[in-house]
Amino acid sequence: MRFHRRHVIKTGAAAGALLGMGMPRLARAQDAGTIRAVMHGDLRVFDPIWTTANITAYHGAMIYDTLFGLDGNFDVRPQMVQDYGVSEDGLTWSFRLRDGLGFSDGTPVTTADVIPSIRRWAARDGAGQHMMRRVRDIVAKDERVFEIQLTEPYGLVIDSLAKTSTPLCYIMRRQEAETDPNEQITTFIGSGPFTFNQDLTQPGNRYVYDKNPNYVPRDDAPSGMAGAKIVKVDRVIWENIDDAQTAMAALQTGEIDFMETPPIDFLPMLEADPNLTVQVLNTLGNVGWLRLNFLHPPFDRVEARQAMMHLLNQEDFLRATFGNPQYFRTCGSYLTCGTPMESDVNMDWFTQGPNPERARELFAAAGYDGRPVTILQATNIPFMDNSAQIVAQKLRSIGINVELAASDWGGVVTRRAVQAPPAEGGWNIFITWGGGNSVASPINLSGHAATGTDGWFGWPSDELHEQLRDEWAAAPTLEARQEVSRRMQENAWNFVPHLYLGQWVAPVAHSARLSGILAIPEIVPFWNIEKSA
Amino acid sequence: MAVALPETEARPKRGFARFARRNPTIVTGAVLLLFMALVALFAPLIAGDPLAITPINRLQAPSSEWWFGTDHLGRDVFARTVYGARVSLIVGLSVAIAAVVLGLVIGLLAGYYRGLDAVIMRVMDGLMAIPAILLAIALVALTRGGVLVVIIAITIPEVPRVVRLVRAVVLTAREQAYVEAAVATASSGLKILLRHILPNTVAPLIVQATYICASAILIESALSFLGAGVPPEIPTWGNMIASSRLFLQMAPWTVLFPGISLALVVLAINLVGDGLRDRLDPRLARRM
Amino acid sequence: MTAYLIRRVLATIPTMGIVAVFVFLLLHVTPGDPAAIIAGDNATPQNIAAIRERLGLDDPLWQQFLRWIFQLAQGDLGVSMFSNVPVSTLIMQRLEPTLSLALLSITLAVVLAIAAGVLAAWKAGRTLDRVVMGFAVFGFSVPVFVVGYLMIYLFAIELRWLPVQGYRPIAEGFWPWLRHLIMPATALGLAYVALIARITRASMLEVLAEDYVRTARAKGVATPPLLLKHALKNAAVPIVTVIGIGVALLISGVVITETVFNIPGIGRLTVDAINKRDYPIIQGVILVFSLVYVLVNLIVDVVYTLVDPRIRY
Repeated sequence: MRFHRRHVIKTGAAAGALLGMGMPRLARAQDAGTIRAVMHGDLRVFDPIWTTANITAYHGAMIYDTLFGLDGNFDVRPQMVQDYGVSEDGLTWSFRLRDGLGFSDGTPVTTADVIPSIRRWAARDGAGQHMMRRVRDIVAKDERVFEIQLTEPYGLVIDSLAKTSTPLCYIMRRQEAETDPNEQITTFIGSGPFTFNQDLTQPGNRYVYDKNPNYVPRDDAPSGMAGAKIVKVDRVIWENIDDAQTAMAALQTGEIDFMETPPIDFLPMLEADPNLTVQVLNTLGNVGWLRLNFLHPPFDRVEARQAMMHLLNQEDFLRATFGNPQYFRTCGSYLTCGTPMESDVNMDWFTQGPNPERARELFAAAGYDGRPVTILQATNIPFMDNSAQIVAQKLRSIGINVELAASDWGGVVTRRAVQAPPAEGGWNIFITWGGGNSVASPINLSGHAATGTDGWFGWPSDELHEQLRDEWAAAPTLEARQEVSRRMQENAWNFVPHLYLGQWVAPVAHSARLSGILAIPEIVPFWNIEKSA
Repeated sequence: MAVALPETEARPKRGFARFARRNPTIVTGAVLLLFMALVALFAPLIAGDPLAITPINRLQAPSSEWWFGTDHLGRDVFARTVYGARVSLIVGLSVAIAAVVLGLVIGLLAGYYRGLDAVIMRVMDGLMAIPAILLAIALVALTRGGVLVVIIAITIPEVPRVVRLVRAVVLTAREQAYVEAAVATASSGLKILLRHILPNTVAPLIVQATYICASAILIESALSFLGAGVPPEIPTWGNMIASSRLFLQMAPWTVLFPGISLALVVLAINLVGDGLRDRLDPRLARRM
Repeated sequence: MTAYLIRRVLATIPTMGIVAVFVFLLLHVTPGDPAAIIAGDNATPQNIAAIRERLGLDDPLWQQFLRWIFQLAQGDLGVSMFSNVPVSTLIMQRLEPTLSLALLSITLAVVLAIAAGVLAAWKAGRTLDRVVMGFAVFGFSVPVFVVGYLMIYLFAIELRWLPVQGYRPIAEGFWPWLRHLIMPATALGLAYVALIARITRASMLEVLAEDYVRTARAKGVATPPLLLKHALKNAAVPIVTVIGIGVALLISGVVITETVFNIPGIGRLTVDAINKRDYPIIQGVILVFSLVYVLVNLIVDVVYTLVDPRIRY
């Protein structure tokens, strides 16, 4: 490389002089009013209720506002709501909207918009559905006041309205909110800090957001999804650069200002660049998941699922994809480490480390008959790609036959929905990850349900687990919830709904000219960011 | 190809040296190819386990322990490069053979039986009009990967080109007196095809096969690059480059060695093809 | 000539029909569920089923096919399943970058290749010939993405002469447009140079062997003008042909080049659409690409008859 480079510098000097003639140093001079960002994925769908894709939730946070917001300390604070209260019997929650709220088209935000927005969201969201089973009605008292009337006390009403795991309860205009939840809305007008500039947006290439001049921010200090959302630039452009190598190069040369997920191997290089800053925004990070199919052998047997706990070593997976231990940790807790729900009960399998011999015995006890275990491998996502290969290698090392079914992520999401046996198009194992904040809540994340074939892919089934999830939701205090979490973990690591492959943080890298970026789990906010000239 | 060459081309009595002097490109290409083929064949004797994952040893620079260094999963790049020769050569050869055989049969039929011609050529035009890479990506991405799917996906768009070539040769040959004579003496269609027309297609097809082989190897690597190739567990130069391209700046050896091998093999095949074309028929170029 | 033209134009209809059927079957017979991708990772099977139903993906295949063909007959390519944006709008947005890249690559390649081919033929058998043609073959043998990354590393990151990625519309100025296209067009054109240079050289050699050229050479007509004037004119036919064939090669290259240099063209649109199984986009783009291919070859055939009066239909 070095040799090549010097050689070209010498021989190419003439050409360089020509090309560089009269040109300012490259692309550094993007105007100060515009932030160009490369996010973790392409914004494919614009309706944040229709899809649970994270990037669409980010898009939602730009153009819509929420009733409540999670602040930087994970506390719930009112956002569009002025004040709220609950009746003594715990059955009636009443809310009053802030004065002067308006959509970017000039119409005011009223309860006639809010109530259908809550209903549409709740129809699609796991936590929303869980809450709605206890909701008798949602009624408007006047244009600014509404009530959620319950059939039994429920501990997660405002937590659900404030949650940052997708889909979020974004408030839309009545026209859009009354759309069938299974159909995509076609107009994107919200009361959020930005407006969506559809004329300049080119799907698959760039997505353009302009400052909403009519936005009415709160008075209190910005923190997380709460407080004053003041936009300090004119425009934010999400450039869709699919190739991480290219995106990183563009960041180094100043063609883009912000990269959400630079590959962790390159952080030292980016940190060394005086024009760039590397920063962890989401301290809870992500949790890798290994999902087992409960419907078919061998993982229909609990012994085989337990065998996986003794076979795998989280560190192998983390090191293979994230390299630097500074950015990852192993975690044996059922609910995310680093949250109040972390627990250490029933964790011998974790503290004692991998034991392949025990795993082999357990597979034998499960009656493993030599049929291949099918692992879905998403080759276009490095963590999933690498991890599938490691799982395969580990399984083979104890004499299990493995079939790696390689495809892109689109192929994995298609195939993981198939409930037929692996030989008929189904599967045994797939790998994904969840946001640390979502994984900490047994209610917010669909994957925590153990409701059998109605539930999330893998279809675990366990009555006690379901009972504990309900108890967790109804628990009135943090302490009570922690106590339920411990019982849930005790049970979970016996019946093994799934396994975790470790926890990692994904720092963002951005131009040193940006400041004031807020830390929020699972959302990247663009309000409050300043860009110096 | 490499093995077959000296047998068909060299005249033993005059000696290899003379042949080599007259055909430097063929010999250079063939020697390179032969070397790569031997490496592929004896991979287990030359290199260690290409699949062994040791995350603790990731991204090690080339050393006496790892001649070509290690990749991001701590796998031995040398072993993977050596084993990678297998898939590249298998894909290249299979596609070349499959495309030529299919193209030959269809082309002979189209050229000889005028009734079939219109239908066959419309279908071929249709297939040819679909961009090869998009067809291949779609086929591989939408079905479940695997070497066989990759081979099929690359072969389909190559077939129409061979068909056109064969058909053109047949049409020319048909006009020539000896075929007319054969038809006049009422030989069977099959006999005429095999005895009189087939031999005319051999020279252009051999040359065409080398180009198909080279392009198949390149397309395989391009498919892997786009994430729609041979499953990543199987080491191929294409998917080695694809999965390591992030590390181009940090660990250039992960991309360099498979990249060089890929370029060398394609170069060798092209050299053989060029040499053959020059020898067999300088005018062939016009028809391609 | 007119009859020939009409015949050729009519012949494109069954060709495009075959493409349409083939592409539809390819997408709908193979596994893949856009609804599962739309719904996102946290969605439940019920969500996905509801979206499938809304998108009409549960209807019998023949119904979906007829619906699509009926739409096509009205000149409607449909809308993206994901963003609801019409496919024709998406294609129009992506047309300029792809056309710019393709035309610049062809221009660059043709100029370089003809120069190289003429030079090689002129010095046939000598060192210059070997070097030029060796370089051409090498260019043909290195994958475009390897060349692309090496160029980015050298010219953009280390030397900072050129931008790493992206595209500027020509409306924003010729120079910004060109700067963003130099590297991609060169990387893409490289393979093309080899192809055309080789053909140019071969045709040139044939022409140089003709009696009248030999005579002219013997008479002492200055070599460069002679080469260009007499010889190139006669070598034009195979060169035009290979440009026509090369369009297919170019389309393949465009897909990869656009990915490496992040050019928002039709190639990337398609690859993205395949990854997310956005059927209307995939179908629309492949149809459009195929139509371009068919038309270019039609034009090439017509040009063929113009540059070589000996060819008659």
